[in-house]
Amino acid sequence: MSKLLKLSNVNLNYTIDSKSINILKNISFDVDYKETISVVGESGSGKTSLIMLIGGLEKVSSGNIFFRDSELSKMNEDEISEIRRKNIGIVFQSFYLIPNYTALENVSLSLEINKFDNPKSKAKEILDRFGLSNRFNNFPSQLSGGEQQRVAIARSVAMKPEIILADEPTGNLDSENTHKISNLLFNYIEDENASLIMVTHDNNLANLTKRKITIKDGVISENK
Amino acid sequence: MKINDLSLYSRYAFRDLTRSYSKILSIIITLLISLFILSAILTIEDSLENELNENSKVLLGGDLEIDYNNKEGDRSLINQVESFSTVSQMVEFSTMISTTKNKNNKTSFTRIKAVDQNYPLYGEVIYEPIGSLENLNKIDNTIIVNENIFKNLELKINDIVKVQNKEFKVIGTVKVLPDIGGAFVFGDFALTGKKTLDNLELNTLGSFLNYEYKIRFDGDENKDNKINKIVNIFKNDSKVKIRYPENSAGGIKRIIDNFSQFLSLVSISAMLIAGIGIANTLLSFINQKNSSIAVQKSIGINSVNIKTIYYLQLFIILFFISLIAYGLSFLLVPIVDKYISDGFGLNIEASFSLTNLSIVFLVGLLVIIIFSIPTVNSIDQIKASSLFRNVFQSLQFKYSKKSIILSLFLLAILIILFAYRSSLPYYSLIYFASFFVCLAMFFYVSRLIILLLRNNLTNLGISSKIAVKNITQSKSITPITVMSLGLGMTLLLTLAFVGSNFKREIAKSIPDIAPDYFFLGIQNNQKDLFQKVINETDEDAVIEIVPIVSAGIVKINGIDPNTYISNSNDSYWVIMNDRRVSWVDTIPKDNPILEGSWWDTSQPNKLQISLDSKVAKDFGVNIGDKFTLRIYGREIEGEVVNLRLVNYQDLSINFAMLLNPQFAKNIPHEYLSTIKFKKADNFNEVNFLDQFPSVSIIKISDYLSKVTDVLNKVFIAVSIISAVTVIIGLVVISSAIIVQGKIKTFQNLIFKILGFSKKEIIISSIIEFIISFLSIILFSTVFSVIASKFIIENIFQLNWLFEFEIFLYVIIGVGLTTLALIILTNLKYLSPKVYPLVRNE
Repeated sequence: MSKLLKLSNVNLNYTIDSKSINILKNISFDVDYKETISVVGESGSGKTSLIMLIGGLEKVSSGNIFFRDSELSKMNEDEISEIRRKNIGIVFQSFYLIPNYTALENVSLSLEINKFDNPKSKAKEILDRFGLSNRFNNFPSQLSGGEQQRVAIARSVAMKPEIILADEPTGNLDSENTHKISNLLFNYIEDENASLIMVTHDNNLANLTKRKITIKDGVISENK
Repeated sequence: MKINDLSLYSRYAFRDLTRSYSKILSIIITLLISLFILSAILTIEDSLENELNENSKVLLGGDLEIDYNNKEGDRSLINQVESFSTVSQMVEFSTMISTTKNKNNKTSFTRIKAVDQNYPLYGEVIYEPIGSLENLNKIDNTIIVNENIFKNLELKINDIVKVQNKEFKVIGTVKVLPDIGGAFVFGDFALTGKKTLDNLELNTLGSFLNYEYKIRFDGDENKDNKINKIVNIFKNDSKVKIRYPENSAGGIKRIIDNFSQFLSLVSISAMLIAGIGIANTLLSFINQKNSSIAVQKSIGINSVNIKTIYYLQLFIILFFISLIAYGLSFLLVPIVDKYISDGFGLNIEASFSLTNLSIVFLVGLLVIIIFSIPTVNSIDQIKASSLFRNVFQSLQFKYSKKSIILSLFLLAILIILFAYRSSLPYYSLIYFASFFVCLAMFFYVSRLIILLLRNNLTNLGISSKIAVKNITQSKSITPITVMSLGLGMTLLLTLAFVGSNFKREIAKSIPDIAPDYFFLGIQNNQKDLFQKVINETDEDAVIEIVPIVSAGIVKINGIDPNTYISNSNDSYWVIMNDRRVSWVDTIPKDNPILEGSWWDTSQPNKLQISLDSKVAKDFGVNIGDKFTLRIYGREIEGEVVNLRLVNYQDLSINFAMLLNPQFAKNIPHEYLSTIKFKKADNFNEVNFLDQFPSVSIIKISDYLSKVTDVLNKVFIAVSIISAVTVIIGLVVISSAIIVQGKIKTFQNLIFKILGFSKKEIIISSIIEFIISFLSIILFSTVFSVIASKFIIENIFQLNWLFEFEIFLYVIIGVGLTTLALIILTNLKYLSPKVYPLVRNE
């Protein structure tokens, strides 16, 4: 069985004031189907940049990223969008719900874009599963931080993606909400057989994943 | 993109729009105002043209008109026409009407229609009391006068007036005549019976006598057959001109065309200024949606699809605004109808035109796309990866080679669309070129202001420093303020300068150059008596008296003169009807010869012609070309021997054609005279008319006051409409300030924390305004001076002067309005609430 994701000698450089800065250096690792991985490291080590590359939101400077044998680094924006639309769910630290869309509309957005039948009822089903059945028609400003993040996760999993990329998903939440959100996320991944790559500073959260990758100064220092 | 996708994105566009329309309210307002003006112009123009086309028979007065000019028609030929149709004969002439009270009698120069009992064949005469029109042909020497004569001469029904030396009883008043297609729209008019014509001593030239036969086809016979029959009947009568309904109201149509063309250009100017605001507001709107767009990208919606959603939103706005603007334009029609029905006797009704609605939509679409391309393209700058960093950079207009080419292409379509619809495309193109040159200049002016101020912050008070900082900051509204207000000011100042110069020149011509009176129809045997009477009245009166005869140009170099000129040319009037021509021994003082030489006296038996140089140029005629003139039915060939510079504006006696007196003096003729009195009070019009009943008097000051009155109304209307461009500019500035709202609020919060007073902040706004406005005044004055000088000196051929008073009115008016608007818009940002801002809510 082939790998879900394969990174091979990935480098990411930025040029600032004519100086080239190496953000990621020779990153190589594989991700299996249904595997959960946490990416940890100090601030500025390159964790977020790594999941931006995996999500196709940045282009590698060199090296290759394969998503189910398709090479992301050789695709154009439309092709990457197509893969992201159907196969990758992204969860942000700051939730990023669309402010003038209701909770239901935020979740049904990706379903509608993917031409699902009855996107609204499917979105309701997901929100219901995440304990938000009484919040369908509320706008983000009318939701608490924990509720907003639940809607954001619901949006990211609506398409049943094969992999979820989460960037500090509980970074803006209190301990109670952190617990709720992590339970919800991991239960979902188990139920739906999805993979997860999660950037976090929270060791408790990182310990819930099967594998932990530590990045230091743009290099994988530990992968176990 | 598939239909399914389009339907999905349309739904998103609709939803986004219904929830965020308040943020793009200025786009909606500016679009609505400018599209409303365009719609109003198209709707009113269309309604007028429909009215003219539908009523072309009414305006002509028949299915056909036989025009015999100043000769009575051949009765035997008219009788043949009467065998298969109804004929109404009428004679139009100009003469004086005088009251016959014992003292303070008054006179009025009037165009009279002597009509028979069949009049009108089409349409309706609006008159009162009932039966008075019918009585014109039943009771001798009766007359119905228009309301203006009735009022000015202080008449009552059954009063007696004098027409020439005959007494007429006023039996009614007339408000509207149907057949105004070719005649007296602005002057005074009256109706009398055809029989009474025989009682008057009408001279052919001074009375501008015109015999017309209006024909209505009766029965079932094919209309074309009847037209052919009539053409055959008159084919050998060279004096006849046959007019058809489609040729009626040519003069009115030309006025409508010219006026609507001007208004169309004003409306497109308003639209283009609105475009600047649209681009700015839209950029701010997209900036506010920065994170939402990034989220959409993160879940796999690509840039093209997101841009499609924004274009669809603009499309939806435009669709509804076009409908509303077009619908609202119908409300103007009854208002215009009121004025037009009083002045022209036309009744217009609004009618839906899909073509006009499509034009409104198309123009709006082109402007929106042209200005939103760099804005919507800025969506490409938004990256989903920003969501991880929580850092969003402000978007900038994004220009690419492809988008610039597309914008220029669409702009070219817009210009071609206006130029194509215009009757004078060349002027439209010049207007567009000037507009874009000004736009570019104002953009560079704004950059220059920023550049000059950027490094000059030292030695300034704190309010001035804030003002300068506001102007020079990267998100400054200075370029938008300078461009939008600058263009509006330029247009308004240009029209104000043109209007004031034009009025001044006309007013100036009365005392300086123009005579006091024109006297028409002085008979050959009355010339000496006339001069004697005038000299007795005022021995210092300056009398100019010239012979006149009526002549029509039948051929130029042996061919139809119509082949030399189109009927839309300014000089077409020369061949439209017979013209008055004269002869003089010496070169008139104010008519210098530009080409050729004065009369060759060695050839007295050869007709020599001196021609107006502009007419010669328009016809493409040169010295040595041959004109065949018809004078008293006889065709005479003459040669153009010189070209004169004729200045019609001085209101002295001017003729397009002068003949050599050696040849012309034996032709039966009348005299035309102008008099400039030293003692004008000595001259009594009524007493004069007792001695010369067949002579008509035109008092120049009355005539000019009528002309200036009409011009005043036109210029007021034009200025009000042009002020729309300034209003649009103000909306654009106001929206630009609102767009800055969040930055302004933060800035004012910081000032509040630092202890600034509201007064200092307001003063900084005023200084900011003054710096921008002074530059706007400077450059818009330069541009408007150039434009108005060009128009006044080259198109109207008048003297141009800088009208400081008008200039002050315009800049103070616009300046105070803009300042008030800026302060009012800024007021709401003056007292920011600290808590929500500190908590970043």
